Amino acid sequence: MSIRPPTLREKRRYLLARIDPAGIPVETKDLYYAVYEAVVSLFGDVAAAAMQPSVLAIEKGHAILRCRRGSEREFAIALSTLSGCRDCTVALRVLAVSGTIESLRERIATLMPEVSAASGQDIVPKPEGTADAGTCGYQFGDLVVEPVASYGHKVDVIEKGFKNTRRLFLTTEDLEKIHATTIPDGL
Amino acid sequence: MKITDACVYPFPLGDSSIRRFALEARSYGYDSIVAADTSAADISGVTVMPGLFLSGLPAKDIQSRAKKSRGTGMVVAVQLGDNGFNRAVAGTNGIHILRGIHAADKRAFDHVAAKIAADNNTALDIDLSVLIFGRGHLRQKAIHRYIDLMILYRRFEFPLTLSSSAQSVLGLRAVREVTGLCSLFGMDETDVQVALAGVGRVTEPGESIVKVIT
Repeated sequence: MSIRPPTLREKRRYLLARIDPAGIPVETKDLYYAVYEAVVSLFGDVAAAAMQPSVLAIEKGHAILRCRRGSEREFAIALSTLSGCRDCTVALRVLAVSGTIESLRERIATLMPEVSAASGQDIVPKPEGTADAGTCGYQFGDLVVEPVASYGHKVDVIEKGFKNTRRLFLTTEDLEKIHATTIPDGL
Repeated sequence: MKITDACVYPFPLGDSSIRRFALEARSYGYDSIVAADTSAADISGVTVMPGLFLSGLPAKDIQSRAKKSRGTGMVVAVQLGDNGFNRAVAGTNGIHILRGIHAADKRAFDHVAAKIAADNNTALDIDLSVLIFGRGHLRQKAIHRYIDLMILYRRFEFPLTLSSSAQSVLGLRAVREVTGLCSLFGMDETDVQVALAGVGRVTEPGESIVKVIT
């Protein structure tokens, strides 16, 4: 079908969603399939066709999604039922709905410094299993863990071990530095 | 009015510590959570209530466990079973919440059990994890049960609670998302607000039926 003039085009709405947990490598295509499956399983093929869900981009841990105007509420409900993307457990937190992609990009730019200031450091969450070799050890209870992402008081760690490499969601107060009594601020 | 998630499973049952649950719950708009295997605490402004979740026990054992936990500040929740069992536990003092209606039989919770629950101020829990993680028949069945429950709720007005049953912070949903999910089975925003405050309603000491006037 040929491209219609702007006045005849259907209106769209764009959603900004944060991808949790931070630092999980998610491909746009994989996320699109996950979103589409969530929409179809909840509302069916007819509603999904009318809704026209799409994933436009993933930028700085946030996803920009698109749907038809008027269906953004149903789309947000379907997004709240999304629990995984490929083999990773993820959750999408809808932060904003807008009529233009540009305003959502501006929103991302305003969100990022806020988060950085709260944590007191730049947030560059490392992909899982790529922590620095020289980092000091931490433990949570009896478990030896390796921090992979931190923001504010929140710390995501990976359990160290041969088999168990599950991700745990903790806070700085939960962690104990091995052979130390205090936790450094620069965690 | 406290906004409460009626069931979360922190570490070691789940993969998130109770402190992390409290932090995330606060950012999603909750001010209290009921957590399994924890002690009462106040973390970052979020009240953590210890929960005792009972399932697979005969009614007599559950009644004795509920009696023992009276006055401890624990929120006692019981998994629903067959109709007779449900009527027995709905009328037991010390049991705050009946859970798992999505997995119960169609006739397991009828108008008689609903009336008993309303008279005894026992809440029925709506578990949102089935809607979030379930797919296909499982989710359809859950939505059907919740629609039936809402019909009984509008008639008998027993307390409702909402729970995410999250084993991870990724399973928690914000109050806005919960409102959206509950709209799938006919709960409006007011119902959701009342249901989120349901734990406070069932745990606060009720007024005595007999008043002594001097």
